[in-house]
Amino acid sequence: MLALAAVILASPGPKGFFENPAYLLGIPLAILGAIGLLMAFTPIELRWPQPGRPAVAEAEMEMEYALEGHPDARTYVTVGVILGVVTLVEVAVYYIDALSGALLGILMVLSALKFLMVVLWFMHLRFDSPLFSVLFAGGLTLVAALLFVVLASLGASLV
Amino acid sequence: MQHASAAHQVETSTGIDNRKLLMWLFLASECLFFGGLIGTYLLYRNRSEGPPFPTDTVYNGTHYNGVFDIPFTSISAFVLLMSSVSMVLALAAIQRNDKRGLRAWLLCTALLGMTFLAGQAFEFTEFYREGLTVHSNLFGTTFFVLTGFHGAHVSVGVLILLSLYVMALRNKISVRESLNVELAGLYWHFVDVVWIVIFTVIYLIQPT
Repeated sequence: MLALAAVILASPGPKGFFENPAYLLGIPLAILGAIGLLMAFTPIELRWPQPGRPAVAEAEMEMEYALEGHPDARTYVTVGVILGVVTLVEVAVYYIDALSGALLGILMVLSALKFLMVVLWFMHLRFDSPLFSVLFAGGLTLVAALLFVVLASLGASLV
Repeated sequence: MQHASAAHQVETSTGIDNRKLLMWLFLASECLFFGGLIGTYLLYRNRSEGPPFPTDTVYNGTHYNGVFDIPFTSISAFVLLMSSVSMVLALAAIQRNDKRGLRAWLLCTALLGMTFLAGQAFEFTEFYREGLTVHSNLFGTTFFVLTGFHGAHVSVGVLILLSLYVMALRNKISVRESLNVELAGLYWHFVDVVWIVIFTVIYLIQPT
């Protein structure tokens, strides 16, 4: 496998691999992969920090599990109304010619706002274990790196 | 704030239910899946050599009307967004042990999901009538692959919701099994956030 990688890197392509600085983004990805391999094969038992919990009756614990940390229905409806209004604003902005110069910025901000509201409240990242946030943010970071490398190296752009 | 998972004693090395951890890992991988498809669309945007085009375009001196219908797609996006609200209300209902509420909101979510799919089928049919197919030009290929895969994900979500609804009708979901609803909800909300990105990047933001 290593020999194959060496051959690929050594072979002259239409454009030298190291001529494009985008390859540097591969370094953090390789580090992430190495950490993953270490965690997978380490003989040491890895334990995520677990907050202490007082003993409670099983039925009480079930209710506690279901309700603890999650918002109530009123909060969900409020978030839903805000999401609906933001969507309306997005479409309105699209049709206002005077805002055409700032359209990209406005739409990106509004879209990011909707994305965050759904992820933080509806998917409970704001209330659940930080491990889930780390996993999801990791996925999004890799996507950002992928889009950057592909679009920058192949000459495409968002607009 | 204490974590929900902390209250539910789970004998795993993370202290978190493995099913929920697996779902988040799956969603993280799905980010890359849809990121690849969106990246491909952006890469080939505005490089079609021939109509139909997404927006009004002058090509070789001839004016072509765009195929995108923003008002219609806005309503579709709104429907999918509201389905996320009803999904999270279904979860809130079962967490209160309100089984009737669970059934009502699950059915509502599934119906909204099916409405979105019907809208997508209508949109695809209209595009086909205007000459846009998966092999007509680069726009058609990248657009149908991206939105088609998203539609497939919504279809799977609707099947999961209907399965949960049948389980709820048979009284097989209680507070103890609320994690099943939560996992389905995570998947459904993810499909919604993907559409938030697609709607903005593909439909609303157009090349200048």
